Amino acid sequence: MTAVIETAKLSKWYGNVLGLSDVSLEIEPGVTGLLGPNGAGKSTFLKLITGQIKPSIGNVRIFGQKVRGNQALFGRIGFCPEHDSFYEEMTGWVFLTSLLKLQGFSSAEIQSRADDALDIVELRADKDRLIRAYSRGMRQRLKFAQAIAHEPEVIILDEPLSGLDPLGKRKLIRLIKAYREEGKTVIVSSHVLPEIEALTRNIILIHQGKVFAKGDIHYIRDLIETHPHMVSIRCSDPRGLAGLLLGEDYILKLHFGPDGRSVLVETNNRDRFFSVLLSSIVKNRLDIDEITSPDDNLQAVFDYLVGK
Amino acid sequence: MNPSPPVGFRSFLGSVGRVFAVFFRQGRKARRTRFFFFFSFLPVAVSLVIKFNQIFSEKPGREGSYLFTNLIMLFYLQMIILIVALFYGTSVCSEEVEGKTLSYLITRPIHRAAVVLGKYAAYTVVMIGMVTLGLVFSFVVLNLDRLLDPSLYGLLGRYLGVLILGLMAYGAFFSFLGSSLKRSIFFGLLFSFGWENVIQYFPGSTQRLAIVHYLKSFLPPAPQGRFSFLTFRLEPTSPGLALLMLFAITAAFLALACLFFSKKEYGLED
Repeated sequence: MTAVIETAKLSKWYGNVLGLSDVSLEIEPGVTGLLGPNGAGKSTFLKLITGQIKPSIGNVRIFGQKVRGNQALFGRIGFCPEHDSFYEEMTGWVFLTSLLKLQGFSSAEIQSRADDALDIVELRADKDRLIRAYSRGMRQRLKFAQAIAHEPEVIILDEPLSGLDPLGKRKLIRLIKAYREEGKTVIVSSHVLPEIEALTRNIILIHQGKVFAKGDIHYIRDLIETHPHMVSIRCSDPRGLAGLLLGEDYILKLHFGPDGRSVLVETNNRDRFFSVLLSSIVKNRLDIDEITSPDDNLQAVFDYLVGK
Repeated sequence: MNPSPPVGFRSFLGSVGRVFAVFFRQGRKARRTRFFFFFSFLPVAVSLVIKFNQIFSEKPGREGSYLFTNLIMLFYLQMIILIVALFYGTSVCSEEVEGKTLSYLITRPIHRAAVVLGKYAAYTVVMIGMVTLGLVFSFVVLNLDRLLDPSLYGLLGRYLGVLILGLMAYGAFFSFLGSSLKRSIFFGLLFSFGWENVIQYFPGSTQRLAIVHYLKSFLPPAPQGRFSFLTFRLEPTSPGLALLMLFAITAAFLALACLFFSKKEYGLED
């Protein structure tokens, strides 16, 4: 398949601060997930490929054309920014039709495209309300609507799922997947691994301004699986539970919590650990109050991978 | 037959027109427009007080055109258009940056300079609408007894022209400040009530470094009286040159605003 977006040695510094370093990528049609903790350089990358900022070194091409200052190309790109910012004194309808006007459509086209986009994000009933009266989820959907209303071939979404309730997330994930079926190129950034996993198998891991890994979700998962996980279990008999787990070879460390009611386990095989834990709970009729994973976040995984 | 403008230029003008349409609508309906509308009507209230005082005190007061020139016109020229142009002019660029709405505009198929020019034109029309309405009302109130005198309307036309030129020039200057500085309102206030108010009274060619010098050059010579110091001008520039200078100031600062807005990278945080 031909790459739609190509970056070569793309780097960006903000004064002395590194935003992005030496990123060379080829992105093909379909959904690509851009995964990284906050401040990793995801937004910088997306701003560079949408021509909002100029690279310090390197270049970006979309459909083989340079991006920065290429107005004709912008008509083929839809961008959903991360920030929850709008022209608050506009209604949803005016906001959408205004941006379509800037795209250069005729009045009739503006009406029909705005109607279609509002139908897609299910905001038609609220289109005449002021944006400042919208809920966070509605605002997020409106932001998405403006990115797709002009039917772009490349859709770039910066954290589109943040602020949405679970149902809203599911709907948006379904929508994004539908764009993949249409052969469009979609880039979605997120710092939440399950969100990206739900969208695509094709992931770019970005950290401290560098592309850390790129590939299929299984490859990324394999990298992550080697990361030792901490699991905290609060129960009525933590010492009895510790005794049951102590003999397993995938348990690396065991600690007791300061309250004496919890046990903290470090394991290098989370799936096997949970399988054994569940069977032990059932077999020994243990009373479990809470199971939490203190380091179950992307930052911890990245810290581990980078330090490896 | 005139040659048709090149496609690139026509497309640029089309973009300016689209930006104008969007922001003229937004500018008209914005809450701040309501506020500045009332603000620019303050001189109307002052005019009404003067007029009622003249009527009820039964003392023959100064004639309307004298009061209009020396009080109301100066109110507009040295305060209202400066404040209105400062807030609208700086907002051309800074409201997009501070409101983080910039990406909605710069990812559209329009040139960045078209955003500046379209918004500047839209806000200038909104400002002109607000300010000229107030000026006409003040004029009518103070000249109620002379409304049939045709010579008055020539004067009104001149005053309106001065205000429009002032809004254009100050609007362009403040657009430039908004595109290039972070605390543009602060620096704009310094310029408006520091530089402009002081430099115009410097002798020699220094006075020509103030925009208000060229605006005052269009006003008729100050009639004698206790308010005449307000319209005091040292050495007015000829109207033709003043007009040229005001257009040049407007064009130069607009060009600079477009340049900054096109080149500068705003909101660089991740």
